[in-house]
Amino acid sequence: MAARVPALARVVRFVLPLAVVTVIWQAVVSLGFVDSSLVPSPVQIARSAAALLYPRPLLFQYLAVSLWRVGAGFALGSLIGVSLGVLMGSSSSVRFALKPVLDLLIAVPTICWVPLLLVTVGMGGPTIIIAVFLGCVFPVTYTSMNGARAVPRDVVLAANAMGAGRAAVVLLVLVPGALPSIITGLRLAVGYSWRALVGAEMLAAAASGIGYMIYAARAFYDVNVMFVGLAIISVAGLAMDYMILGAAERRTVQRWGMVTKTW
Amino acid sequence: MSPGAGPPGLSVGRWVLPITVLLAVWELAARLGVADSILLSSPSQSLLAVVALAATQTAAGHSVLMLHVLSSVGVLAVALLAASLVGIVVGAIMGLSNSVYRFLDPLFTVMMPIPGIAWAPIFMLWLGFGTPTIIATGALAAFFPLAYNTATGVRSIDPKLLMVARSMGASPSRVLLRICLPGAAPSILTGLSLGFARGWRTVIAVEMIAARLWGLGYMIMEAREYLRPSLIYGGIILVAVVYLLLERLVVRRIEKITTERWGMVSPMET
Repeated sequence: MAARVPALARVVRFVLPLAVVTVIWQAVVSLGFVDSSLVPSPVQIARSAAALLYPRPLLFQYLAVSLWRVGAGFALGSLIGVSLGVLMGSSSSVRFALKPVLDLLIAVPTICWVPLLLVTVGMGGPTIIIAVFLGCVFPVTYTSMNGARAVPRDVVLAANAMGAGRAAVVLLVLVPGALPSIITGLRLAVGYSWRALVGAEMLAAAASGIGYMIYAARAFYDVNVMFVGLAIISVAGLAMDYMILGAAERRTVQRWGMVTKTW
Repeated sequence: MSPGAGPPGLSVGRWVLPITVLLAVWELAARLGVADSILLSSPSQSLLAVVALAATQTAAGHSVLMLHVLSSVGVLAVALLAASLVGIVVGAIMGLSNSVYRFLDPLFTVMMPIPGIAWAPIFMLWLGFGTPTIIATGALAAFFPLAYNTATGVRSIDPKLLMVARSMGASPSRVLLRICLPGAAPSILTGLSLGFARGWRTVIAVEMIAARLWGLGYMIMEAREYLRPSLIYGGIILVAVVYLLLERLVVRRIEKITTERWGMVSPMET
């Protein structure tokens, strides 16, 4: 973040360009420069969103389902990813055995797992949650491993000399030391999870979720609903990043006097 | 796939043993019937499925597998080229003008979290089923990191350099080509590398829903339709291998011949 700017000014700076673009967009469509059945105007999109909220709050239901899936997959992925990563960072033999596998798996686009899961697990929630899990577990493992490896050896040796066992070293030295990397990794992983969710829901959701909503709208050529979906994906993605992980970062890393770099 | 993931140099020796062990365990598990062997498949069956597809020829005498690979790589190349051209120009303008940067920054923030595949249904409506849609979504996905990193790179150039060049009468296009682009090169290459990863992912994903006949994503999705897990496994590994090869052989090489020759160090891998 740049130099201190008052909160209100920051909000205005963020919102003003978006408002200008929205007005121009509306004008271009209203004046008939583009076909509104292909590129809907902001007003049309807002109306469509309203229809999805009232009388039945379908949009909230979809969003709730999506958030549950992404939350479950991310929780699972970060738990296993951080544990495995710290383990790989602390033991060179584990690293030797697993690093090549990790290098290969991290290069697989998450969406590629979905057809496989469709065959083995079937349509629906479990496949989507597993896809989200696969989308975040490998990057989290990678960053946690790098974080644990970056903990100075002297610190580990000092802890050993003072009688700390292996478990104590991992929990009290390596995990806190790796925390800046772990949190950076988790923050990126929120994005990866969200991306995996949208893709998986498009291919594997039976009847609910934001990704499903966009994909199903194709059958009715309902471009308004597609844009509503994009807006929700963007807002929810940003909100998760800023609210959950931004706060976690401030609570832990900054208080402990470490500095991280995320964009 | 995290940005810039992977070891700096692909040391083959360290890979061989662990990967061999993994494949052996997998093969053994499939042979011993630990899980349903049709669903689990096995490395040998996956390899056979891929080889069989490579040996299958179209009427014109081309290998089917080769056409899938070349189609995906070709689409990615066109998408990346388009994204680089537009992204670098937009990024350079953003980098040079503070007001343009401040105007576009919120738009980028809003657009970045939207994955490429989410655009696919809209582009299918605009451009129809097939290659144009795949190229457009791939290019859109790659555009944002390219433009953003170019802007960051140009903004990091010492303003004195720009002032000196201008005061000595350099034209705007000369300033752009001789100072901005070389100065921002390491950032631009970071953007290219990120855009390449994003673009590849998006191309494969959109091929799954919008390809007519060719592409690795299409191949995997088709294997799913015919319930052939061995080809799905083979396809997944192939997608990863093609990605790693392209990254090592093309992206890293471009980095080498530009930044290293100009005596700059890429900030990508620290």
